[in-house]
Amino acid sequence: MLMVQPIFGQSLVKGLVKDQKGNTIPGVNIFLKGTFEGTSSEIDGTYMLQTGEKGVFTLVFQAMGVKPQEFEIELDGSTLEISPTLKESINEMTAVTISAGAMEASDEKKAVVLRPVDIVTVPSAMGDIVGAFQTLPGSATVGNDGRLFVRGGDASETAIFIDGLKVGNAFGTTASNVPTRTRFNPNLFKGSFFSTGGYSAEYGQALSSALALNTVDFPLRNQGDISIMSLGGGFTQTLAGEKNSITASANFFDLSPYQSLIKQNFDWERAPYGWDAEVSGRQKWGKSGVVKAYLHTESNGMKIWQPMPGTEGRGQLVGIQNHYTFGQGSFKQIGKNGWSYYGGVSYSNNVDEIELDHLNVRNQNQVLHSKTVAIKEFSDKFSIKTGLESYLYRYEEQLKSEGLNRSFQDHHAVLFTEADYFVSNKLVFRGGLRAGNSSLSDQTWLDPRVSLAFKFEHEGQLSLAAGKFSQMPVEQLRILDQNLQNTRADHLILNYFLSKNGRTVRAEAFYKDYKQLITYDVAQLLPMPMGFDRIQQNGEGYAQGMDFFFRDRKSFKNTDFWVTYSFVDSKRKFAQFRERVQPAFAPRHNGSVVVKHFIQPLQSQLGISFSFNDGYRYDNPNLPGQMNAKTKSFQDLSLGWSYLPRPNLIIHLACSNVFGRDTIFGYQYASETNEKGIFEGIPIRLQAPRFLFLGIFLTISKDKNANNLNNL
Amino acid sequence: MKKYSLAIIVMMLIALLTKASNEAYEQAMRKELQQMKAAESPEALKKSANGFARIAEMMPEEWLPDYYAALALANAGFRSTGGMEEMDALFAQAKKHADKASAISPDNSEIVAIQGFITMGELSVDPNSRGQHLSGVAMQTFGKAIELNKQNPRAIILMAQMEMGMAQFFGQGPEKACGLVDSSLQLFEKEAATKEKGAFQPTWGKEMALGMKENTCK
Repeated sequence: MLMVQPIFGQSLVKGLVKDQKGNTIPGVNIFLKGTFEGTSSEIDGTYMLQTGEKGVFTLVFQAMGVKPQEFEIELDGSTLEISPTLKESINEMTAVTISAGAMEASDEKKAVVLRPVDIVTVPSAMGDIVGAFQTLPGSATVGNDGRLFVRGGDASETAIFIDGLKVGNAFGTTASNVPTRTRFNPNLFKGSFFSTGGYSAEYGQALSSALALNTVDFPLRNQGDISIMSLGGGFTQTLAGEKNSITASANFFDLSPYQSLIKQNFDWERAPYGWDAEVSGRQKWGKSGVVKAYLHTESNGMKIWQPMPGTEGRGQLVGIQNHYTFGQGSFKQIGKNGWSYYGGVSYSNNVDEIELDHLNVRNQNQVLHSKTVAIKEFSDKFSIKTGLESYLYRYEEQLKSEGLNRSFQDHHAVLFTEADYFVSNKLVFRGGLRAGNSSLSDQTWLDPRVSLAFKFEHEGQLSLAAGKFSQMPVEQLRILDQNLQNTRADHLILNYFLSKNGRTVRAEAFYKDYKQLITYDVAQLLPMPMGFDRIQQNGEGYAQGMDFFFRDRKSFKNTDFWVTYSFVDSKRKFAQFRERVQPAFAPRHNGSVVVKHFIQPLQSQLGISFSFNDGYRYDNPNLPGQMNAKTKSFQDLSLGWSYLPRPNLIIHLACSNVFGRDTIFGYQYASETNEKGIFEGIPIRLQAPRFLFLGIFLTISKDKNANNLNNL
Repeated sequence: MKKYSLAIIVMMLIALLTKASNEAYEQAMRKELQQMKAAESPEALKKSANGFARIAEMMPEEWLPDYYAALALANAGFRSTGGMEEMDALFAQAKKHADKASAISPDNSEIVAIQGFITMGELSVDPNSRGQHLSGVAMQTFGKAIELNKQNPRAIILMAQMEMGMAQFFGQGPEKACGLVDSSLQLFEKEAATKEKGAFQPTWGKEMALGMKENTCK
């Protein structure tokens, strides 16, 4: 050690800097306020500051991750010893986050399960956002539906939000057993928050799950994107300015050429076809604010012969025409004194025109959602978020051939508030309340939600979440009985999450209790449920289980893989079931493996995804009881190959169910027995043994900078 | 008259004080620049960044102290062996200083170049998952820096690094990147010839260009 003797006339300040745990802190910036005099603490936390200044000064200690501390000192040529203990500050980057029920995809945050780019490249997803979420724990693949089924909940129990605003009818309308897709292009989004339960008081009217998608803030440059696919094509043009941008796109698809080449299991009269157009704009607002607007409109249709069990011939002809518009405007702004604000308005309008032999039905569903949220950060430890929401639902059914018409309108007023309290970087509590009122049901409800999370020394964290969730029954039932009240669910979730050096481990146990579910008699189930009677709210049930997720991007070079397993034990009395049954959409054992490997010499990414479950429950009327049979196990192996020959060109080829396994999702039975006294059944299969996808994506950009570069 | 002379005295005093402060500023900058040049380890670079941060605190109108604090922290990030979390923390801290510098001196090619350099750093922490998103951002930022000042050799050599990475990834030749290396070397020469003695304007980056010339553009 070097001994430093104070030079005559110079003062010496020295000491040792420690944190609250008693560890020394290196690299602390130590200086006299208002002067150029200063130093840094050494690796062992010691420091020495020699100065010729005289008089009273403020000595400041400053470093990352701690609160700055100041001391009044008098410099008079002598030696002073100051050894402070610095208090930690709450660091957004490293502090504990509540991960119970949550799976986040983001480029910006830490506790994430996926990156946005991972979503597009899951082979079995075929470019559908929801397809990628189906490889995450807690969700079940229901191949004859395509929507998101979370932990024993049906598809209507998942609510979808874009930039915090509700999306009505996020999935395309389809005939029964014909799988559907999300309407929105995955490239629109920079991140997503998929919750399988226990979520924030900010979200409601969803018993099982909330999926919040966040759109891209500002595109980088002016560019045009052309896509040519085996099913259709599209063009997108982006204009990016300093403070604003606009993107417009138009796409079309038609499955008939594809289906004329590849044999289908379904009996199509007219293969699915459609177009969509969208415009989105962004404008910077002041220093830190942004305003976004987005409009999407589309139209599509299909005509299919649905076989009727127990009858000869092609069955019943179902034609569907769907028109859909979604528009929204949203804003974000940071105010003064720890205030920030966001909110907006969204409108969804879905019109289905259904032809069923001689019947002509027109259904229209409209949702108008508006929301304003204010957040106040009282300190780095404590913040409160409060929001006001209004939902206007309008649903109308027309039986055109009979000239009949019925409709209902419902208004929900919602107030929510949520407080976050960080005890330290290791421990956080969150408490929230969501209060709502429905004008149609004349019901007021209050849903409390609580969660907490603790971070261990080894970076792993444990979260606990519990809460009450309310959701109005589906429109098709509310229109029949306008007094129907909220269905209810209680969630309890325990989660462990560790993400370190390219590996992620996530384990979760959950219990979900359902109450006031709807039960009814139904005269006819096929080809669409009709003739509901005796609608009651005496259903109930539960779902419990656990799931595991492991992802590794480190162990094998250029390889990223994840493995998930979910166990779901769910029984409920609902719909036409008279007793508690295991629903068809809640297989007990679910798993998936996704592997992506980048082959540098070929400039290609190879993707493999494998999904399985132990089989779907179904009702066999030839056997006693309900939901009394189970299909064989579901298995799907999908392959994807993406080739990047140039920075602006991607060629993508994908194939689902490579082995052509004959998948059966259940059976449909005749409503009456045949002459032998048995109900005849026919299996519900995949559209085709395999689905092949070929896409060429080309980006054209007159990058002015690139041109400038070439002229240098 | 009395009033007038008082005003003169006050103004002279202010001028004197400003001069004293300027001298102290220049002295402090010289000292810190020297220490940064000598700094090798991330720890030494962090200390150097502390030094520049102290000067920045004293001289809120000058962009250079924050600029150099950002540069020192970015270099500390590149050299850090403390894992992803520490690297990210250093780049985040560097970004804060770069943004502060940019608020003092907007549309400054050097500051925009350093912002791109920090983005490159964030990319290097986890290239597999960040590459696709951040390489575009980095190139865009260097493009902007070049647009602001076509004579900025640092913006050009950093762009050359990105171009080289892209060329290697897509199995293309290094011609475009090497062209940039050559033009940056010319500009570095020009900069050395015209640089005023004792000025604090950035001059770093020539070694980077020579290294690339040596290793990949021969």
